[in-house]
Amino acid sequence: MNSLLLRGGRVIDPCHPGSGDTRDVVVRDGVIAAPQPGERHDETVDATGCVVMAGGIDLHTHIGGGKVNLARLLMAEDHRDGANPYPLPSNPLELASCGTCAPGTLATGYRYVEMGYTAAFEPAMVPSNARHAHMEMGDVPVLDHGAYVMLGSDELFLQLLAEGGPNLRNFSLIRDYTAWTIHASKAMGVKVVNPAGISAFKFNQRKLDVDEQHVRWQVTPRQVVHTLARALRELGVPHPLHIHGSNLGVAGNIQSTLETIAALEGLPAHLTHIQFHAYGTEGPKKFSSAALQLAEAVNAHPEISIDVGQIMFGQTVTASGDTMRQYAQSGLANPRKWVGADIEAMAGCGVVPFRYREQSYVNALQWVIGLEIFLSVKNPWQVVLTTDHPNGGPFTSYPHLIRLLMDRSFRDEQLAKLHPDVAANCALKSMTRELTLEEIAVMTRAGPARLLGLKDRGHLGEGAAADIAVYREDADREAMFRTPEHVFKDGIPVARAGRVIATPVGGTHFIEPGYDTAVEKTLRRHWAAHGSVNFDHVAIGKDELCRCCNGGRLLPTECFEGSGS
Amino acid sequence: MTTAWTCPFCPLACDHLAVRIGTGDEPLAPEGADCAWARRSLARFASRPAPAAASIDGQPASIDEALVAAVGLLATSRQPLIAGLGTDVAGARALYPLACALGAYCDAAGGDVLMQGLRALQDRGQFTTTLAEVRTRADVLVFVGGLPGALAPLMAERCGLGDPQVPARHVVVLGAAADDAAELAQWSTRPGITVESVPLHGDLFDTLSLLRAHAVGHAGCTGTSTPALAALVDRLKAARYGVLVGTPALLPAPGALVIEAVHQIVGDLNRSTRAAALWVGGGNGAATANQVFTWLSGLPMRTRAGPRGLEHNPWAYGAAQLMADGAVDALLWVSSFDADAAPPAEARALPAVVLGPPSQAPACLRERCVFIPVGTPGIGHDGHIFRTDGTVLMPLHAVRPDGLPSVADVAQRLLAGVQARLSS
Repeated sequence: MNSLLLRGGRVIDPCHPGSGDTRDVVVRDGVIAAPQPGERHDETVDATGCVVMAGGIDLHTHIGGGKVNLARLLMAEDHRDGANPYPLPSNPLELASCGTCAPGTLATGYRYVEMGYTAAFEPAMVPSNARHAHMEMGDVPVLDHGAYVMLGSDELFLQLLAEGGPNLRNFSLIRDYTAWTIHASKAMGVKVVNPAGISAFKFNQRKLDVDEQHVRWQVTPRQVVHTLARALRELGVPHPLHIHGSNLGVAGNIQSTLETIAALEGLPAHLTHIQFHAYGTEGPKKFSSAALQLAEAVNAHPEISIDVGQIMFGQTVTASGDTMRQYAQSGLANPRKWVGADIEAMAGCGVVPFRYREQSYVNALQWVIGLEIFLSVKNPWQVVLTTDHPNGGPFTSYPHLIRLLMDRSFRDEQLAKLHPDVAANCALKSMTRELTLEEIAVMTRAGPARLLGLKDRGHLGEGAAADIAVYREDADREAMFRTPEHVFKDGIPVARAGRVIATPVGGTHFIEPGYDTAVEKTLRRHWAAHGSVNFDHVAIGKDELCRCCNGGRLLPTECFEGSGS
Repeated sequence: MTTAWTCPFCPLACDHLAVRIGTGDEPLAPEGADCAWARRSLARFASRPAPAAASIDGQPASIDEALVAAVGLLATSRQPLIAGLGTDVAGARALYPLACALGAYCDAAGGDVLMQGLRALQDRGQFTTTLAEVRTRADVLVFVGGLPGALAPLMAERCGLGDPQVPARHVVVLGAAADDAAELAQWSTRPGITVESVPLHGDLFDTLSLLRAHAVGHAGCTGTSTPALAALVDRLKAARYGVLVGTPALLPAPGALVIEAVHQIVGDLNRSTRAAALWVGGGNGAATANQVFTWLSGLPMRTRAGPRGLEHNPWAYGAAQLMADGAVDALLWVSSFDADAAPPAEARALPAVVLGPPSQAPACLRERCVFIPVGTPGIGHDGHIFRTDGTVLMPLHAVRPDGLPSVADVAQRLLAGVQARLSS
């Protein structure tokens, strides 16, 4: 038995009463335990003057899989320092790995852990690329990981939806296909990207509004969103449908976003990188903030959660499954090059480098919109802190973002540097709210854990996994969150003062919803007629998953009792 | 007979063939369907694996002895090169830490060809497609610079030529090679397939430039209008989904510019209709090693963890060039798929460690050479390999276990040995 005492820290644990109190935290065999009088500990850490939180959980970050590797290949300039190579790591525990907006998997793990994060979820796993995605995630050291599999622009789903007719008489088949896809790809949830739109682009449609029909299948994004959300609800999938909505980046797309919320008809859903979907058409450039409208909708729909996808100024690369919208944005690529792909009659991808500039009216407004959303949604449990790494900016900018949210004077200083028309006219300039440590803890660990159904993560209650970050109190919140004093993963010390000190292999989160195996007959026929892989090779077994994930632990999450079963 | 076997030998990684396992020395053979490459490759493996020996300086040795000798050879090298890189994901994952520990240059066999595509991607990007997209939707296919032929024997099947779901497909070869005509004629007998051969106008790069001028409507202004190319552009613009297929290994120099020109034409077409490129290559583990090294480090092949840092140079760090320049003093050659791919002639002068199938042993019986037999993924053990389109990672299944260590096993033991040597 191995035990650890964290003594005298201020424990921020919004899941439990007494959060904010100064108290000891005890870890026994990798799990948070109740302190026992007179107990001796193998290790004692003095946490006086520190804030103790659960390890950070990033619920939406593009850390591994086909398009991420394409981004690395495309962005050779991200892997050198001007004309010079990046130096090798000084830490003998680290293998050489570099990049900021398209880091190698090894660098991804090191940099997350140094900031106190202990889990990260890849949000856009293409079914046919699932093995690859799990391989890459398995090569992200230390972090637990999982992925949402993409559905809703695959030809089979759209075909079944079309065949179902107005009453969707084949709904159970669609539901079983959804469950089977989760099973086959060992996913943690389902993401829909530009519902039906990736496929529509393959048939040469250049935009698709929520009620516009796909030319080939005559179905609409509204139907796709509702059907998938209902399927996940009935299957008891803990993480509700993860939605990258229609018309990403388009001025006036708040309309599509509100229509998407309406399409759900009260079903729970998570709207991702919502900053990119909260644009109006007012003002001199016909491009304006619709953050307040968005916040109003989120405040009125407690069943909806969002992550923000805050943009950060500087170079990044956007990697998305939304081929239609990435094609449309490719003219803005900086540097001028981009990658796109149509993938396996299932999905697509687009990788477009971007440099967000403070003096660009549009970019400045995007920055403002993200912060306005953070500050105007009332319930922090509905908001997750993300930059949609790397699309809004690299995850390494989280400490800076946290300071922007917690420190109004710092925020105002930054705002003053932006395009003057934006700085002068935005609602943000009069927003006084400063997020509390409690709220940051919700948005970066407790909230995401709850949204994913991870009962033993994101909090420090008895029985929780001992994923812990210990930050030294500092009025400069950026410095504080940049370099935690101590980070523990399942009770093992993995980072100390910004230096990785152990690199255990992380575990893989996935779910196993039940389904009628009769669906496999339909699928086998479909694969034989339209696929490029033997159906017997499509599903990833658990032994194979173990090999993909480098021998890390398999962490199945329970589904709840689905309403349809 | 095996079911659900994936053929690891060509870039298409087909998984609709089975393998017939005979007795004793009888070679393995494809079953259920046929493929010239699979047949030839399988024939190098006996149905019952023969005992395989390692060797040191031409003398038989145990695998343990060979590992000790290999560690000595690599750890005392001032600048080693890891080349060949014919391995699966597990092998590449294990070779990367070894490469870091040794500060080795890394390049795959066929690295020059691999770099053509990489450089085009790094400079301008690309728009590509995959086999299922081609099969289900492509109505015009243009093979740029010739058919892949023997490099991907089942190309027509994998592109769905003759599938009823696309009732009419037109196949064009732009700049056919001498023996393409017969294959094209055979393709034309498939239902719904029409074929056409369009000759080059100048060299391939000139031809693509002209094609591009037609695609963007400049050909008329510059007086370079060419009826055959104009017709081809019209056909592509009228297509629902036109796919330009190329085989980098068959392209004339400079291949990277040819690839870039194809991508630009795809970009031009995508302004009004839909099109994409498909590249056939990266077999024998080259694309797989490239993907794995890229995801681990951020940088692709032709990178080393050198004294200045993580240095990538797609021009200067080619294996053949480094050996010819005398820039390296030891070689670790890895080739677990191709039974005949012994180190290249330039390597004869270098001390070498060779990880290959037992059939490579005779070529490695020489001074200053350590040979360690390894299993072939998809024959002797399971594994994973990327298919030519780069998005599908195919599982490989053992046909008949041979008890040989995998590249991953050997690389891990080499790493442990090298680290022990370096820290002592």
